[in-house]
Amino acid sequence: MTGTRGGFEALDPCVHCGFCLPACPTYLATGDENDSPRGRIHLIRALERGEIQPTDRALVEHLDACLGCRGCEPVCPSGVGYGRGLEAARVRLAAAGRLPLEVRAILAVFARAWLLRPALLLARWFRATGFPDRLSGHSPIQFLLGMLASTTAGPSGSTPKPAPATRGRVALFRGCVMDGLFGHVHEATRRTLAANGYEIVEVDGQTCCGALHDHAGDRAGAAALAEANLRAFAGRADFLVVNSAGCGALLKDLPHLIPSDAARALAAKVRDVTELLAAAGPRPGAPLAERVCYDAPCHLQHAQGIHREPLQVLNAIPDLEIALLPGFDRCCGSAGLYGVLHPELSRAILGEKVAAIAAATPQPSLVLTGNPGCLMQIGAGLRAAELPIGVAHPVELLDRSYRAAGYYH
Amino acid sequence: MAPANTDRPDPGLLAALGAIVGPKWVRSHLTERRPFEADGLPTHASVPMAVVLPSSREQVIAVLKLLAERNVPWVARGAGTGLSGGALAGGNAVLIPLTRMNRILSIDPVRQRAVIEPGVVNARLSDAAAPFGLQYAPDPSSQTACTIGGNVAENAGGPHCLKYGTTTNHVVALEAVLPDGSLARLGSPHGEPWGPDLVGLFVGSEGMFGIALEITVRLVPLPTTIRTLLADFATVRDATEAVGSIVAAGIVPAALEMMDQACIAAVEASIYAAGYPTDAAAVLLVELDGATASVEAEAALVHELLRAHRARGVRSAETATDRARLWQGRKKAFGAMGRVAPDLVVQDAVVPRSSLPSILETIGTIGRKYRLTVCNVFHAGDGNLHPNICYDRRDSALADRVARASAEIMEACVAAGGSITGEHGVGADKIDYMPMIFDSTSLAMMCDVRRVFDPANRANPNKVIPIHACREWREPQ
Repeated sequence: MTGTRGGFEALDPCVHCGFCLPACPTYLATGDENDSPRGRIHLIRALERGEIQPTDRALVEHLDACLGCRGCEPVCPSGVGYGRGLEAARVRLAAAGRLPLEVRAILAVFARAWLLRPALLLARWFRATGFPDRLSGHSPIQFLLGMLASTTAGPSGSTPKPAPATRGRVALFRGCVMDGLFGHVHEATRRTLAANGYEIVEVDGQTCCGALHDHAGDRAGAAALAEANLRAFAGRADFLVVNSAGCGALLKDLPHLIPSDAARALAAKVRDVTELLAAAGPRPGAPLAERVCYDAPCHLQHAQGIHREPLQVLNAIPDLEIALLPGFDRCCGSAGLYGVLHPELSRAILGEKVAAIAAATPQPSLVLTGNPGCLMQIGAGLRAAELPIGVAHPVELLDRSYRAAGYYH
Repeated sequence: MAPANTDRPDPGLLAALGAIVGPKWVRSHLTERRPFEADGLPTHASVPMAVVLPSSREQVIAVLKLLAERNVPWVARGAGTGLSGGALAGGNAVLIPLTRMNRILSIDPVRQRAVIEPGVVNARLSDAAAPFGLQYAPDPSSQTACTIGGNVAENAGGPHCLKYGTTTNHVVALEAVLPDGSLARLGSPHGEPWGPDLVGLFVGSEGMFGIALEITVRLVPLPTTIRTLLADFATVRDATEAVGSIVAAGIVPAALEMMDQACIAAVEASIYAAGYPTDAAAVLLVELDGATASVEAEAALVHELLRAHRARGVRSAETATDRARLWQGRKKAFGAMGRVAPDLVVQDAVVPRSSLPSILETIGTIGRKYRLTVCNVFHAGDGNLHPNICYDRRDSALADRVARASAEIMEACVAAGGSITGEHGVGADKIDYMPMIFDSTSLAMMCDVRRVFDPANRANPNKVIPIHACREWREPQ
């Protein structure tokens, strides 16, 4: 646990200046102080003081409506730890039994591999039928189908030519959704890292990172998953590589769930895949004459402070034209379970992003972003808007470039 | 924390408001009213009885008509970044945030005009005007968050108002709804209007006269050359004397800002660290803009004057990024004060430029007398001081010392020939200081003007003008 007041103390530096307002996607969507970081801090402070009860309907509504994107943190002059304060509040709300039934059900599935694996297997099978691709569209159900269709794999099945592995042993964090629906991103991660001199180690016994549980206030659930991952990965490699921004942010912050030296040691080894690739150069691939745009996941830029590395990875692809469109650094509205629980606000926030992509001239062929939730959300949004633009993880494009360069068998 | 306002408006009023704006845009639950209890100066707080968030001019007009019929007081609010407790609604007043009315209606690059709704964020207008080579010049430090409607209410200033003038110099026409729900068109978008300057009267009226629904502003060309200099000094006196010498030399910088050591320390610890030397007693930020030749000539002269006043170092921003960084540090300084202590009193006073050296020494003496941390960050070029007093309100003895020091600073500024506010407005915070600078006749005239717009005294009640100054209050006595 953090601090003596369970994380609430992270909000103490707030002087109510309001400089966070323009960075908050929900405030921009509603214009209501209740949906702004400053307003929520006001509510959370009143919760801590006991002036508002954790069962208060309006409190729950406005704290639930927070994406947890932490876009307010890097603009705060006083360095308010908003994410910490929010989690402290959500722990209190969860303890008061305010976690909705559907959230508890979803978290329960994610905490149990024997439930999650078959569910994801079913999803893969359904994806393979091609129905999600053909039926995706604007309505809530069609949007869900579009999310699934956006996980579709590109070409795969090659292995890197042997290269001297001089940059260290890397254990791949497979995660849950990434492993179930984005196996092609894992393959691209393995190949591109190997092509850059990393040795890949497969680690058994790993599980879901627990970020969904942590963000929902289920700290015990998150800590149990963290313990399992700590046991699986401790001492296994030089780096623990993650290609999902949300999981990476949680694993780098492991000591807040498990305050031990072992957790601190493991957290210090966690790297986003783009960090490792950027540290290696990365090795240039074959030219891809395409125009793409990059979208920065909140948990990469705000939670991990990673800005340049994904662009460095893409810059290793000659002739690739990379655009940063207006709002590329703003939340897409996915935010874990948010899109499912608050579809209206989530879609309104996504709408701004899709409109910016639609307005770009010339139009990009792909939107690149390094987080499964964002890939599915933006992918479904593009499909709903009937735009012929795909989504992919940055390492997938590097992988294509490497294949074209003949780095693989 | 203010005592919670547990009053609820009668359900009939809530239903009628909901019928106008839609029920989800009326906030009546106490929890949802709390975040509106304060603006950027949370030492003042009062919970509104209800909050209504209209999204169109028709809705605002209908809301004001309804409140007039039912004789309910109200307060308009922008983004709530004001620093005088001006946008607070207590008692049975309804709060009307205008953040949802945020459309830029038109930009005319030829006539250099923009027409906007009140909830447009200041910096967003400049961003929208930039592709045409234009900008909206008034740039309050909160410009990334504050709304132009709020700027109009407060006649907001900003660092670059030294050269370009404050909000009132940039608003040419207004469509406003008055407290009785009637519409008024003030000013003229194209030229000087005939008759009394009613736009001038409305701008800076702190929400007492009505709500601006459409604001026509002047846009000015972006300067071709900008030069930003950072000078650091071993003493505050040297820095303030350098300020006087620059203006006395006939130079009107685009901006001339000062920060003292305590303030520099807070900024340099923040993500807006600008590379200000932390061992300096004070730094000056001098910006010159205009045609290249004149900017270069003025920059050389300013450099010389800064050196003559014992500047330890003078550096010029080499790139646009460097310049932006120097300005971010200055503009976010107020927000960085949370690093010093959890609570903050931001003062706003004006003194004649020539009094700057002595008044800063006086402020330093007052701070030491009450054992307080005072950080100074201010518009030195126009003598507009912002002493920030950092403290922890949970210590009531300390809070009391802050209040006394604050009042003493204000008295010293007035005694030096200054005024009680430069740009933050009077609001709730300065109302008790009004009789220090205005005689009873002037205050009574203000009451009379207010009555022209709002005979029932329902628009932003109990702000700005002390009620005891008004004739109807005094005459029965």
